[in-house]
Amino acid sequence: MPLGDCWKHLSWFYYQYLLVTALYMLEPWERTVFNSLLISVLGMAVYTGYVFMPQHIMAILHYFEVVQ
Amino acid sequence: MARSTNGDSLKQLNHNGLKWDDSGKNGYHKKPAEQKHGAGNGVASRQNKQESFEQAPMYVAVCTYMGFGIVTLFGYFRDFLRAVGLEKCNLAQEREEQKDFVPLYQDFENFYTRNLYMRVRDNWNRPICSLPGPVFDLMERVSDDYNWTFRFTGRTIPNVINMGSYNYLGFAENNADFLKTVADKVQQYGAGVCSTRQEIGNLSIHEELEQLVANFLGVESAMTFGMGFATNSMNIPALVGKGCLILSDELNHTSLILGARLSGATIRVFKHNNMHSLEKMLKEAICCGQPRTHRAWRKILIMVEGIYSMEGSVVRLPEVIALKKKYKAHLYLDEAHSIGAVGATGRGVTELFNVNPADVDVMMGTFTKSFGASGGYIAGKKELVDYLRCHSHSAVYASAMSPPVTEQIIRAIKCIMGKDGTTEGIRRIRQLAENTRYFRARLKEMGFIIYGNDDSPVVPVLLYMPGKVVAFAREMLQRKIGVVVVGFPATPITEARARFCVSAAHTRAMLNQVNTVTSLQWP
Repeated sequence: MPLGDCWKHLSWFYYQYLLVTALYMLEPWERTVFNSLLISVLGMAVYTGYVFMPQHIMAILHYFEVVQ
Repeated sequence: MARSTNGDSLKQLNHNGLKWDDSGKNGYHKKPAEQKHGAGNGVASRQNKQESFEQAPMYVAVCTYMGFGIVTLFGYFRDFLRAVGLEKCNLAQEREEQKDFVPLYQDFENFYTRNLYMRVRDNWNRPICSLPGPVFDLMERVSDDYNWTFRFTGRTIPNVINMGSYNYLGFAENNADFLKTVADKVQQYGAGVCSTRQEIGNLSIHEELEQLVANFLGVESAMTFGMGFATNSMNIPALVGKGCLILSDELNHTSLILGARLSGATIRVFKHNNMHSLEKMLKEAICCGQPRTHRAWRKILIMVEGIYSMEGSVVRLPEVIALKKKYKAHLYLDEAHSIGAVGATGRGVTELFNVNPADVDVMMGTFTKSFGASGGYIAGKKELVDYLRCHSHSAVYASAMSPPVTEQIIRAIKCIMGKDGTTEGIRRIRQLAENTRYFRARLKEMGFIIYGNDDSPVVPVLLYMPGKVVAFAREMLQRKIGVVVVGFPATPITEARARFCVSAAHTRAMLNQVNTVTSLQWP
């Protein structure tokens, strides 16, 4: 079952993430708080990238005179 | 003797480097072992065994600090909630009337206990309900409120493999035949002594034990005490005082440090097992003398241990003795973990390095580890021991060793020396050496970072991150293996570890099971 395998892999990755960031030692509600903070920061970064990346890339290309 | 067992066990192992699929599971790549402790490649290190203290990759240190940082931030957050009143404080707090006084519980140690240790303290102080042999039984306990309180479910966890007890030669046993003499002595002397050695607690069995210990170690005379920690902390003040210099290794045990501080002598610390650092300090001590007056030091005492219990490293005894003779200092050797556990016939590091025991001025050791009892001894020249009998705090004020414990040590030493007529002692020593080498080699093959000398039965496996340390202990217990994990205050902050203690009573099957379970930890 590839889906079952995929789920096992994902849960192993999540476990490793908990161990490395020491979230394993925290209570479940603290993990939720940390994860939501992390996801919101990452989400904001991705959104900003999505909105501004085309302008930045055009500006760089303009600077290097690849595009007028 | 020790060499032949080495050859036998090595034939079955693959020493041609790692199995990459196994080490991939662990996640750390093994770099070529860096010798952290410098040169000094004398005869001893060539014939004896490398000591490697590999450094972990940089990302491991970064993740460790990050983990500690996250938990500390959450600790501050929880303290804030407690201060505001949104959360109940389960630890001791000052009373309302004392809120304006000097705060009692705001220092780092209390913060650490409240916010880091309490979360995970189910891994320590586990109650044991059988003897600490190669397998033991644990009482099952659960916590409903994240380890603030525990309750026992009433069940026991039977047959947990014991990788934490200092049971090196397997003398922690309850075999009725072996313990017959102990039972006889309880009938003869009772269980308690009810006095100190100097008053009326000097029993004939104590004299017999001291004679036996002196014979065992090959020295003139020995004296035994009821407690190993007290042997160090109460006897060092009797040997050195103000105006003396103590050169103590960086990683010495707390009992040595406490004894040194109580004595009032000047203490200087040299880097762990580093002969250059020691020599530099000796030269400076001889040339410059005492701090302001520049008079010569009354005595210079070098304090080292046989095996360091957190690292598993062995002292470089021949080099220390050469330095001691050159600069006319004295040597205090604490063989708590090495007596009975290393050496071809279990005589400790002096036998391991083929050194004359008379070269070591004060030989100290404990009976807790290899002999399955409790207590300590100090051995050396007759004048030294006679002086200690009168002037040591432990001899004068501490209660004497209990008779059944004394008899246990006597029977253990007789077994090791072969005086009881069997070869059980020598069999156990060889079994321990073989188990140690096998266990260490298998763990290294799997790619774990292991500190220390290949001969020491103390095997620290480095885990580094606080989350991993806790998860390791819990998962091992779930799979019925009991290990001791050690974290920040006892070890440097980035070097948390799990410490395995190999025993002669472990069978090959048990060690294999421990290895298999350890390798399964990461996936």
